[in-house]
This record gives sequence, C-alpha cells and structure tokens, in this order.
Amino acid sequence: MPTRTVAVGSASGLHARPAKIFVEAAAKAPVKVTIRVGEKKAVPAKSMLSVLALGAKQGTEVILEADGDGADEALDGLAALLAKDLDADDA
Amino acid sequence: MSELLDRRAIKLAETAADRDDAIRRTGRALVEIGAVDPGYVDTMLAREQSISTYVGEGVAIPHGTLGGKELVHRDALSVLRFPETVDWDGEPVTLCVGIAAKGDGHVELLAALAEILLDEDQARELREATDPETVIRLLGAIQEDSNS
Repeated sequence: MPTRTVAVGSASGLHARPAKIFVEAAAKAPVKVTIRVGEKKAVPAKSMLSVLALGAKQGTEVILEADGDGADEALDGLAALLAKDLDADDA
Repeated sequence: MSELLDRRAIKLAETAADRDDAIRRTGRALVEIGAVDPGYVDTMLAREQSISTYVGEGVAIPHGTLGGKELVHRDALSVLRFPETVDWDGEPVTLCVGIAAKGDGHVELLAALAEILLDEDQARELREATDPETVIRLLGAIQEDSNS
C-alpha cells in the first residue's frame, strides 16, 4: 500500500488550525487516507477529532496510507502539506 | 501549576445571540479567572474568522492566534454550555471549550479532549452535563495528562 512518512512541520503541532487545513485537504482526496503515529491505530485522515487525538507536535513523524487510483498523488499532496509550517501565515 | 480547569470557568446554562457572542463569553470566562488579558478575546475572534474551531460532536474549541499567546498568563480552560445551541457556520454547537495556552501543552490537551469526544457516550455526557462536577470528572483526565 502506498505510504508516506513525514514529520509535522507546523510550529505548534498538528493542532486546531493546521489540523483543520490537513483534514479538509484529506476530505477532498479521491481515496480514503489514514494517518497514524508509530504503531498506534491508523485513523481516518478526514476526521478532525481523530487527527486531534493523535496529539502530534512539531517534528512528530506521522504515517499516511492510502490505496487505489490516485493514492500516490493524494499522499504526495498531503505529505507536502504536513511538512509545511501551516502556522506561518497566522497572525 | 494551578488547575487547568477552574470551577468558576465552567458555566453550563449560557445563552448566546450568535457564534461571536459565544466566543466572547467563552473568552470572558478565561479573563475572569485571570488566565488571559482581555485583549485575548479579540485574538479568539480573529482566529475563528481565519478558520473555524468547530471540531465535531457539537463542540467548538475557541482559542487565540499565535500572536495572542503573549496575552496568556497561564494555561487554562473554560467550558460553556449553550443548551439552546449556537449556530456555528451551520453546525449546532452545544459546548464551547475555550483554550488559553502559552506553549504547546495544549496539543496534548486537545488530544485528550478529542479522545473524550470520539467516545459517543462520553461526548453525550459532556454535552448534556448540567453539573460542573460531571465536567470536571470527564475532563479530569486532561488535567492529569497535561501535568505529567
């Protein structure tokens, strides 16, 4: 299954704002994407509560997985988003 | 460290005219217990305009922008319940959990809150709570986690 491992780039971690941006992008993906930390249970990347419950901070490695047509493209996009500092343009 | 959840910041029979009114009330509860400067409330409104803090299960978690961190004196939560619900960009919100956080301790705090909300029974109990004791018991796990 296509997989990407990426370290969270947002300064304040994968919390409210960065999480929301990520979740909204995951919801638009043509395939079902899951996210997990280490060997913990994989959860739906489009579920805000599930993503928040990961408690991922800046530098935490998360693993994205998806299967099916367009999985690689979807994962590339989401991984790039996670690696970015999504707090950077926050006032 | 003083307690994250001050009993005085739990208000379970609130009403609000609209979303922004609900955010102001949630912020004011943090001001009243001395956790934040009054100006923090404005950064909470600004945050909400940039992106919704609605997380699902009838719960929103208003909090300030990164710039608002300077206005935070200590990490704290406020819990306001709106039995008649507040229209949050189309979603009915019953519970507002206001967050004041100086560092990134609130990531764990949010994670713990999300865990509670992912459990349907606990989420319902929290939404329907009329006694501050219920809220303290449910969110008590958060305090333990964030103090560890």
